[in-house]
Amino acid sequence: MLDAFLAGAHQVFAFDTLIYMLIGSIAGIVAAAIPGFTVTMAIILTLPLTFAMDPLQGVSVMLSVYVGGYTGGLISAALLGIPGTPSSVATTFDAFPMARGGEPGRALSLGVWASFFGTVISTVILIVAAPPLALIAVKLGPWEYFSLIVFALTIVASLVGNSLMRGLIAGVIGLGLATVGPDPMMGRPRLTFDSAILMPGLPFLIVLIGIFAISQLMGEVEDDGKSENKGALIPDVIEFKTWSVMREVLMHPVNLVRSSLIGVFIGALPGAGGSIANLLAYDQAKRSSKTPEEFGKGTADGVIASEAGNSATAGGGLIPMIALGIPGSAVDAILMAALMVHGISVGPRLIMDHPDLAYGMFVAMVVASLMMLVVCVLSMRLFLRVTDIPKQFIVPTVMICCVIGAFALNNRVSDLYLLGAIGLVGYGLKSLDYPLAPLVLGVILGPIAETNLRRALMSDGDWTVFFTRPISAVLLVAALLSVIFSVRSVLKMRKKDRPATDEQDGD
Amino acid sequence: MTNGTEKSAAAGASAPAASRARTEFARLVSYIVFGLGSVYLSVRAGELPTSRWEPLGAGSFPQLVFGVLAVLCLISAVRTVLDIRKLGQLDGLGEALCVWLRTRRISFALFGCLVIYLGVLPYAGFSLATFVFLLIAQLMIAGISKKTVIQSLIAALVFSVGLNLLFAEVFNVFLPRGVLFAS
Repeated sequence: MLDAFLAGAHQVFAFDTLIYMLIGSIAGIVAAAIPGFTVTMAIILTLPLTFAMDPLQGVSVMLSVYVGGYTGGLISAALLGIPGTPSSVATTFDAFPMARGGEPGRALSLGVWASFFGTVISTVILIVAAPPLALIAVKLGPWEYFSLIVFALTIVASLVGNSLMRGLIAGVIGLGLATVGPDPMMGRPRLTFDSAILMPGLPFLIVLIGIFAISQLMGEVEDDGKSENKGALIPDVIEFKTWSVMREVLMHPVNLVRSSLIGVFIGALPGAGGSIANLLAYDQAKRSSKTPEEFGKGTADGVIASEAGNSATAGGGLIPMIALGIPGSAVDAILMAALMVHGISVGPRLIMDHPDLAYGMFVAMVVASLMMLVVCVLSMRLFLRVTDIPKQFIVPTVMICCVIGAFALNNRVSDLYLLGAIGLVGYGLKSLDYPLAPLVLGVILGPIAETNLRRALMSDGDWTVFFTRPISAVLLVAALLSVIFSVRSVLKMRKKDRPATDEQDGD
Repeated sequence: MTNGTEKSAAAGASAPAASRARTEFARLVSYIVFGLGSVYLSVRAGELPTSRWEPLGAGSFPQLVFGVLAVLCLISAVRTVLDIRKLGQLDGLGEALCVWLRTRRISFALFGCLVIYLGVLPYAGFSLATFVFLLIAQLMIAGISKKTVIQSLIAALVFSVGLNLLFAEVFNVFLPRGVLFAS
């Protein structure tokens, strides 16, 4: 283990890797500081740049974008009251009033330090939890794996978006898209309609870029008639009080650790990420506070809870990815895909077959959080200006970067046509309030689910084995329970809200 | 006065209900499209030959997946129909569609530009096609004025030629050169 750790650290601490990571960290912060641009999109744009790198170098750069991105959303949340990413929604509750109350520097520094400690705590848990979990996971059979994927998809559908049914439909559409092209066991072409474009299947990354990035960019230029928020001006003089704020954050150890643990747990659940963790951590901090009435008025506890919660999902999301081969979120799915592009199969055997890579990723997480901290402390003022860049430059340019990413994957022009078509479908789904994360996870989990289902039935044709093997049965029951609880809570909400139901009640 | 207030309050309450009914109707259309599509794909998957080596052939999993999708769409469609009947104000659909399209006119125009750009890219090459795409897209979003034209020209030039050079020289990723420039 120590050898692998040192080998991984040796690769991460190479000069060129550190430089690329630094650029990645800045890029993540800048991208997430722009309202409307998510961490997922930042990672998607980074992906083609990593093709020419070594696997660990590429993943380290993506991790630095990931960690930087979770912090970048804080900037516009605190200063403009607009969450830069969905992960920083709860940050606006207290960081914005604090900034408006004359302490913008304190609000930003609190967020940065809380993010840093949140990431470090989650990385420690990742290092401790992932290897033993992987040892257990290699003993799972195809029955358990199939049931695990069913569980993951139901959890994703019930946690993401406003409607369980639309979440489930999106997830199953994803599974369906994954069936187009050669079948994963025998290579027989399926549902291709003799089209040369569909013959190789729908590449996961093309679906991901189309569904998330193109649809998001199209949504960015919608004209809803509302004027933009020009009222919140960034003050000229901001005092960051870096070190005194660090002490202030450490003076709230219970809130910091609790919020980080919530972030790790939520991050480890497939599909649930920073967007849920920050709200949940904030809610728990408010419930446990002796002064809950101070929340929403600019209390430090609110900022710490939200930022530690969302940043801790970074490490949490890597736990199921490294230990089980099941990505915790869309961002983890892209990391997984990046490794697959390099020919590395991600799953429980990753730690055994490529220990230097797995431990290198742990080291990279720590280095990335340190870089984020240094970059933020030294140049936060510069990043504030990013929010001034007009959409006319950002939207078309990012679209071009998506096209490059889609093309560079296989050097195939037909992938670009797929990108356009999938982007339009994604935009349609987004307009109708279908959650997109379950769809993307469905596409990546589809072949794994099919292979395991077929393997399971090849060794024993009896379907009841899924229910008689204890771990498989527990996972299927958990999947059923997650659906039942989700339906129950929606029914409760409907009863309570009627007749004033709104879009949020969903199913 | 009271009557007027009550009327406007009633109109205010009915407006969200009507809007919600229209949204639910749009979703109902999507459930029907996905449902019918999944039934068709499930049937097509069922036509794939079965395997001699395993109980499940190449078509079984897609058949299962699209079957589940059809059932989910059916349940959602039934629930949506009930919801729409409860809300009971499905009027002004055509007008709402026009507003929806008007709100998204730049989004669709941008997508149209993207489709043309993707079609032209292999022939015109990355730099030229990207320059034209960026210029048009930027002006479409920002509007045409002397300032925006100059800004857009500079940005289009930097990102078309610059990105091509960056990917080719630094990352060894070669973007389409185009028929015009291939020699």
